[in-house]
Amino acid sequence: MDMVTALVLAFISVVLINNLVFTKFLGICPYLGVSGRIDMAFGMGMAVTFVVTLSGTMTYMIDNWILKELGLEVTRYVCFILVIAGAVQLVEMYLRKFFPLLYDSFGIFLPLITTNCAILGLCLFINLWDIDRLLEAVVLSFGAGIGFTMAICIMAGIRENLKLADVPECLKGAPITLITAGLLTLAFMGFAGMIR
Amino acid sequence: MTKKGETKVALYKETLLAGLWRENPVFRLLLGMCPTLAVTAAVKPAFTMGCCVIFVLICSNIVVSLMRNFLKPHLRILMFTLTIATFVTIADLYLKAFVPDMSETLGPYVPLIIVNCIIICRAEACASKNGLAVSIIDAVGMGIGFTLTLCLLAGVRELLATGAVCEIAILPLLKEDGWFVPWAAMSMPVGAFITLGLMLGLVNLISRSRS
Amino acid sequence: MIRIKHFFQQSWLLIVASFAFGLLIAVANARWSDEIEWNKTEKLNRLSSALLPEARLELYAEVEIELDKGKKRKVKLREAVSRIGDRLGWTFEAAGSGFQDKIELVIALDKDLKTIVGYKVLSCNETPGFGDQIKDKYLREQFKDAPIGKFKPVKRGEADPEKTDSEIVTITGATVSSEAVVKIFNVYVEKVKGKIEELVQKKKGQISDDKEG
Repeated sequence: MDMVTALVLAFISVVLINNLVFTKFLGICPYLGVSGRIDMAFGMGMAVTFVVTLSGTMTYMIDNWILKELGLEVTRYVCFILVIAGAVQLVEMYLRKFFPLLYDSFGIFLPLITTNCAILGLCLFINLWDIDRLLEAVVLSFGAGIGFTMAICIMAGIRENLKLADVPECLKGAPITLITAGLLTLAFMGFAGMIR
Repeated sequence: MTKKGETKVALYKETLLAGLWRENPVFRLLLGMCPTLAVTAAVKPAFTMGCCVIFVLICSNIVVSLMRNFLKPHLRILMFTLTIATFVTIADLYLKAFVPDMSETLGPYVPLIIVNCIIICRAEACASKNGLAVSIIDAVGMGIGFTLTLCLLAGVRELLATGAVCEIAILPLLKEDGWFVPWAAMSMPVGAFITLGLMLGLVNLISRSRS
Repeated sequence: MIRIKHFFQQSWLLIVASFAFGLLIAVANARWSDEIEWNKTEKLNRLSSALLPEARLELYAEVEIELDKGKKRKVKLREAVSRIGDRLGWTFEAAGSGFQDKIELVIALDKDLKTIVGYKVLSCNETPGFGDQIKDKYLREQFKDAPIGKFKPVKRGEADPEKTDSEIVTITGATVSSEAVVKIFNVYVEKVKGKIEELVQKKKGQISDDKEG
């Protein structure tokens, strides 16, 4: 029961309190680029969740069971990025073969995810936070993906309405999106300190 | 100088200046946003990050340019990523050894240079297609443009958040008989997003009024 | 055979590059690993010696503490000795979650394990101007010479911060951060004290065994 509470708290913490986009500045490039429409945003979010859960688990296993045992921690970054690139390739091939419709709906997002800071960033944060249980790493990765999806869908909803608003010419596009993101961050700051 | 030499020098100059304004990686190409927001809370970390990016850009552009004739098309991105990851690891080790307090402040954002879109984009768009000299100059131009942008953003944020830039007090603080009340929000994520958004808007305004 | 040849044809550059890069990283790591190690301990030593001046820090033991929620954490216990070898106190690192992120402290205990010498903040990401104040004197002085035991956070007005006792007055506007510091003390100090007493007893037992034998 204790472990379940700890996992639920970890999940909530990475979705609301330590949201990757709003507090750790990860995944901003796709956040700005893809949040134009809610359906695209949701698709991107789901793709990211898929890949990040897989990568988070695999990098955790490789880091703890191979790199630390052999003392090869200095090659950590190279290994992580190779694992992530490999995971994205795997997911792509798997989806193309078994779920072609889903693959079509993801479109070009899947290959783009390799350079998404959120994935590598999450793997590094799991390393930084000294997580010692595999299940916790899986829950955190999944939560990070869900948090990203939530953030990008909120932004997409706001942007769809912004199209009807009277935004000054020079602020249209990226600037107003960033300012909106700033205000969202301010709102999410209200969750800080929720979990002691 | 011969005509060929003249055009070459003109090309070099053009490439160098492109990275500074016309194709500024942050303000124009909208690349590399993640470190821009994360490390610009103060000028010193921003400058350190800029220097790291310059180092990795130059090294990876050199290696990719030397390799460009041997690259197989479907292994291209993998080779770029491997190159960049190696040089980022070296830069990170250097920081940890000689500038440990900056390494701590920058934290996980140094390894995130690996997925910084700027470096992969320059390797793809420029280094894999051009000779050594052009690649190096392009790297230097882009790197300096990026560093200047980061320092500018960090300068604004640090000034408004603490009234001092690089620990040199500029605005007199209220608690020291001045008038300036520091805006703590500027050193938090809110300030980062809003400052960058407003700066982008300003850049758009300037370039629109020019053209 | 042809397949292997084809494989090599396609990926020889990758293999060569991997070796070259691996070599580069290994060389850089070998050359700089000493400095990196030294830097890691230097900050800890600097802060610890600010708490116990004129002391030399020696690693005494590495103990495992059980935190709440069943998590175990390894703690490096350091003994502070004077130039002539007298024990001046003990220091160790402790961490806990604060308002924004993790708070890491260096805590120093006196040599008789009766009072706390004080703490310094190793790293914290708290709100600047508010939670940041856990670095300042107001909170730190309250722990100085406080008796080792359970601490209780109280609001301003309910207790006197000048008094040295187990009631810690939280910083106005930084309640969560102050309570986080108190919690770190409550979780770590008594358990570390228990481990130190165990280890000191063991060493005494060993010495008297050696004397007899």
